[in-house]
Amino acid sequence: MKPPVIFQIGWNACINCGACVAVCPQEAGFISDFDTIAVNRPCDIACMVCEDICPVSTITHYIESAFDNSNFGAFSPKFYNHDN
Amino acid sequence: MVTPKYDVVVIGSGPAGATTARIAAEQGLLVLLCDKKQELGAPIQCSGAVSRHGLESAGVVPSDEFVLEAIYGFGVYNGAGESTILDYRQFKPDEYGEGEGRKPLGYVVDRRRFDRCLMTMAERAGVNVMLKTEALGYQPLPYGICEVRLLHFNEEIKVHARVVVGADGLQSQVGKWAGLRTQIKLTELASCLQFVVDKVETSGLLEIVTGHRWAPGGYAWVFPKGHGYAEIGLGVIRTMTAMNARQHLDVFIKQSFFRERFSDSRILEIQGGGVPLAAPLKTQYADNLLLVGDAARHVNPITGGGIHTALSGGVIAGIFLGSIIKAGIEPNKMNLKKYQDLWLEEMGNKMWQLYGVKKHIFATKDIVQRDDMLYRTMSDYFSPYSEYKKI
Repeated sequence: MKPPVIFQIGWNACINCGACVAVCPQEAGFISDFDTIAVNRPCDIACMVCEDICPVSTITHYIESAFDNSNFGAFSPKFYNHDN
Repeated sequence: MVTPKYDVVVIGSGPAGATTARIAAEQGLLVLLCDKKQELGAPIQCSGAVSRHGLESAGVVPSDEFVLEAIYGFGVYNGAGESTILDYRQFKPDEYGEGEGRKPLGYVVDRRRFDRCLMTMAERAGVNVMLKTEALGYQPLPYGICEVRLLHFNEEIKVHARVVVGADGLQSQVGKWAGLRTQIKLTELASCLQFVVDKVETSGLLEIVTGHRWAPGGYAWVFPKGHGYAEIGLGVIRTMTAMNARQHLDVFIKQSFFRERFSDSRILEIQGGGVPLAAPLKTQYADNLLLVGDAARHVNPITGGGIHTALSGGVIAGIFLGSIIKAGIEPNKMNLKKYQDLWLEEMGNKMWQLYGVKKHIFATKDIVQRDDMLYRTMSDYFSPYSEYKKI
């Protein structure tokens, strides 16, 4: 069982192609306001196919448990790509 | 407040959605066409190639409003640069060409203007069009209707419809509402990137470059884009390569047998998208709901072309909806299956055949053999004698 992750999009490189959503097995609505996969809530599937399909590799993630809301601002969450 | 009532609500005003809406309205139905965007067709996720036959069979007259360049044939290349040129001006000089009485084989269109034109055609056929309108969900109700929730300029509104049509593209959320498995396998979605460029010569042909070295799992292309511009792009299957599409495109431009031709190119636009090289969706309907276009994976699994198939699917869906709604048939899952049956009969079965061909090619482990099969299949596909030319 993989731990839930939260995705981050490097918006500067995102070309809004929608491929990440097309390949995502999540239920309806797991999308951002910019038609990418959701970035504001955890993904409990953590299959990472959205990262794989991105033509410009601009999707990264961190493991949800690495981000402690009570310490928000006190440290930077650790970022991972799917090879970690 | 009285809930507005429609026969059909179409979500997404791309080629499939706008055509479904227009044809349904022409059948006498009351139709609402929604799109969340403020400018249709943007951001561009498509190369814009469509056959003349595809336009004409959907009642769309080629127009300067959206045509960027006329196309007269194909150039198919293998990985080493050997080519099969399929110029229809040479095959059938009396039929294809620029002179009087002759026609193009197809066109590269500006998707922003093309989608707007299709929406305008729908609006002129009586469709009620709403932009900046996002679909939030649908709920089947008794008596053969459903409720569709929409968000229009931040205001949530509800409408009733007999059928909601999901034409919301590859990223279809509408299909997911009904529990349809619309997501595409990573092994069957080509990750695509293209540059619109200046200073690359073209000659009225769609040029397709096969070969694992340049585009593993897909192919690269050079298409004329009008006004002296061209588009250079490629699609790759990410399970077949460690590099992303951008890295492959960089290699293709700098290292391929076209590198001299591309050496002075200047990038004017960057576009990308996912192109399904997949089978059509096995179930394209649910209670009060059906899918068209990319949402139903009405995309040619060999070429990735989707405009022609979207237009044709829209015509089929529009006529079908007219027939069942006017006849008072309840649009439940069982009765909407007929839409998919009609679609399969008219074009879907051919797409399944093509999917079989594609699957066979990419199941071949030996790269040299696979490259050769893809090159020969592409060359055959675009030949005037191809059994598949209709889609």
